[in-house]
Amino acid sequence: MGAISVEKMDHLFWLGRYTDRVYTTVRLFFQIYDNMIEQPEGIYEKYCERLNIPNIYTSNGQFVRSYLFDAQNPDSVLSNMERAYGNAVVLREELSSSTFSYVQLALNTMESCSRTTAPLLELQQVIDYLLAFWGCADDYVEEDCRNILKCGKYVERLDLCIRFSFHIRDIGKEYRKLVNRLRRTNLCYNEENLKRLGEIINEGTDQVTDYQEALRCLEGLFR
Amino acid sequence: MKKLKFEYRMELKFSSPVNSHYFALRCVPGDSLRQRITLTERSVAPADYISVLRDGFGNLKISGSCLENHDTFGYRVAGTAVTEGMIIQKSPLHPMYRYPSKYTQFGPSVIEFARCAEEECRSSGAETVMEKSVCIMNYLHSHFEYIPGVTDIGTTAEEALRLGRGVCQDYAHIMTAVLRFLGIPARYVNGMMIGEGYTHAWTEVYTDGGWYGFDPTNNLHIDGYYIKLAHGRDFEDCVVDKGIFRGNACQQQDICVNVEEIGDDRNSSIDGTAGR
Amino acid sequence: MKELIEHTDRINRLLARYGVKFGIYRNGEFHEQLFPFDAIPRVISHEDFQHLEKGLIQRVDALNLFLNDIYGEKNIVRDGVIPEKFVFLSSGYLPQCEGIRPPKKIYSHISGIDLVLGKDGKWYILEDNLRIPSGASYPLIAREICRRASPATFSSNAVVDNRNYAELLRETMDWVSTGGIPVIMTPGRYNAAYFEHSYLAEKTGSELATCSELSVENNYLYYRDYRGGKQKVGVIYRRISDEYLDPMTFLPESLIGIPNLMDVYRSGNVAIVNAPGNGVADDKGIYYFVPKMIRYYLGQEPVLKNAPTYLPFYEEDRRYVLENLKKLVIKDVAEAGGYGVVFGNELSGERLAEMKERIEKEPRRFIAQEVIDFQDMDIIEDGKRVPRKADLRAFVLSGEKTKVWASGLTRFSRNADSFVVNSSQGGGFKDTWVLSR
Repeated sequence: MGAISVEKMDHLFWLGRYTDRVYTTVRLFFQIYDNMIEQPEGIYEKYCERLNIPNIYTSNGQFVRSYLFDAQNPDSVLSNMERAYGNAVVLREELSSSTFSYVQLALNTMESCSRTTAPLLELQQVIDYLLAFWGCADDYVEEDCRNILKCGKYVERLDLCIRFSFHIRDIGKEYRKLVNRLRRTNLCYNEENLKRLGEIINEGTDQVTDYQEALRCLEGLFR
Repeated sequence: MKKLKFEYRMELKFSSPVNSHYFALRCVPGDSLRQRITLTERSVAPADYISVLRDGFGNLKISGSCLENHDTFGYRVAGTAVTEGMIIQKSPLHPMYRYPSKYTQFGPSVIEFARCAEEECRSSGAETVMEKSVCIMNYLHSHFEYIPGVTDIGTTAEEALRLGRGVCQDYAHIMTAVLRFLGIPARYVNGMMIGEGYTHAWTEVYTDGGWYGFDPTNNLHIDGYYIKLAHGRDFEDCVVDKGIFRGNACQQQDICVNVEEIGDDRNSSIDGTAGR
Repeated sequence: MKELIEHTDRINRLLARYGVKFGIYRNGEFHEQLFPFDAIPRVISHEDFQHLEKGLIQRVDALNLFLNDIYGEKNIVRDGVIPEKFVFLSSGYLPQCEGIRPPKKIYSHISGIDLVLGKDGKWYILEDNLRIPSGASYPLIAREICRRASPATFSSNAVVDNRNYAELLRETMDWVSTGGIPVIMTPGRYNAAYFEHSYLAEKTGSELATCSELSVENNYLYYRDYRGGKQKVGVIYRRISDEYLDPMTFLPESLIGIPNLMDVYRSGNVAIVNAPGNGVADDKGIYYFVPKMIRYYLGQEPVLKNAPTYLPFYEEDRRYVLENLKKLVIKDVAEAGGYGVVFGNELSGERLAEMKERIEKEPRRFIAQEVIDFQDMDIIEDGKRVPRKADLRAFVLSGEKTKVWASGLTRFSRNADSFVVNSSQGGGFKDTWVLSR
């Protein structure tokens, strides 16, 4: 049919962002969790700084609980998963029930693993469901909608890759994916910011030299 | 038979631009057994479109929108009316006019007032619907004070009666409620009256197979010097000017209604003040 | 069927996966709740369904004629078949709809008729829902999953496939459409039946829209695209009540709704499914008169019976009701959704007297019914079969022809002693099988 309202466009974009936020942060979290085994207390401080979220945490253990599963903590992975769900639930007919079901499953799993003693073992399941969600989206979601969904996904991915100083190669790859999708939508975006972001990425050899500027360009993309 | 010239102007000024503005207007008088209307002007501006329909009550209604930013909105309706006063306009009765509505609920004050009015009818020997209506109008006119600013457009008959003061809308609501309570079908009417001022409101009662108008605010029968715009169970059914828009603006409304007599056989003219 | 029952938990897990839920407000907060599914189906024999079908079509046809009459000539009132108070004092009667001729003269496109099966083997109509009856989506998706869970059950039983509901619905929508896209309009995700809105949109290929995505332009209704385009809407299956539909015509303080939608509708430029104003025909007070309507409009005897009902409005009935209050169910005409229902036998002396007083004071406000001794249905609870009260909501679709969906929503009460099977008050649902031979 093809008509996509402003509201739906917005939901599609943010569904892409939040699902990827959960997916990428959970994967990052695996590393952090592993590091915590040898590292002293307070390792989360730098993490919060990079994510630009308030450091409300008091210990490594409390960080793990709260950052992952505290529904009252707006920055928690669970809260982000709930936001992903909030956007998905209003898009059933764009996504199809099959595609939607993976978001529902990821949320259900996220909620239930908050009660286990080995959350990371169960979080793998969340990652699996999110991957299945993307696989299903590729198969069932009509192209116009899928392009917007993916724009959200790559914006989020780029944001996190830049924040966590991924290798410039990886950042460049995500950047190209974003540009590729963006061109296929009718989204209004700031061409200058997109160009400048490309330049920053091209200038870098190993890592993005000025990650703050890169983030500003990314944030300014849809303003 | 009277021949009247009328003009109804409304202008809204917004302190800052508004948009997504939808309106529904019952500001155009329609033809009926008591009035023949010839329009010389009917303009609404700014408007993306206007559509003219008869609403569920049989009134002419103009609806439309202005989606783009604008800081004024207004309309102007002008023309002539040939009117027939003090007649029963034959028409079948819709049963809804027998029962209380949102603004004409039978609250304790309405009931008490109705009982007193009924007693008054009895003692003055009023028997027919017409006689009773006149008696009730007299009674209301002398037991309710015309004072603007005490009530507003959301005031019900019950609330107005408790205050004992109000404007034409309140008079019309009270008379309508009291008549219905006493088993006489009645309806609320919006319209214009000879002179310069605002729109006016009155009541019509159902008798002898048709509707007959009374103006309780002025204690008058509806004669040839009135032009009717719309009617309904109460005020809410026939709001003259209704609009919603998006924007954070203060609005200033300017209304001008003018009705004057032209080309009367006896070549006389009557001055008066409408808008009570 | 045993196999199907064994898989109850797994079926419920799949239902959860697809988000088969309903919303509920508790202490002002919105919660999504699973709607528990019980795998023992309600089975309706081929003959029984033929009988039901005949009766339901007859009833809904009469109700549609009634609505045409009430918003048109009002002959049934003039002829004294129904006292005018029951029509024009009903909160469902909307004078704003006077004079509107809905496309193809259909008012109730989707009717949800609630029935119970008495111990005498007869079906009794409990109420008609002609506004926005919900619930069809639940058995629809449950069947899909049950067939996956136990194909053998369905190959060995001749069950009519009920998965054509979306098709029937779309056919009905297309039949009345004025040309343009079909839209399902939802008040939003915090609505009790949001799952259903989104599922039916997916299955019918309609656009699911909230009020802000739709707007009136030039006396037509449009669905707006983010790229600046717009599509004309030909039919809107709205899942939002009449009073919130158009703030310019109904509740002016309503923040939702589409301004001037009613004018578009009055001009014949869009079809509204179901038509606004239907509340006058599914009022609990009007229910009493439906058999009379069938005789009046169709000249037929009603095929399906009402539950024995008394109107305290009539002197004779009032006397009976006041004398027999203890054994009757009293329903407040103004309430819906299982609220305002009082069982006389549960009333203590003081409250009984209070009820009598209210009935005497406002006789028109109440109806009283005999408690029907209806057949319980078994459900599985903790691995055991236990009986529960259950009703059936049959769905009747009125398009080119009036059709009864060969299924329905069977709801059961959560507690053994509860008579109320409304989903907003707990309880679960079953699939409803209609046998093809």
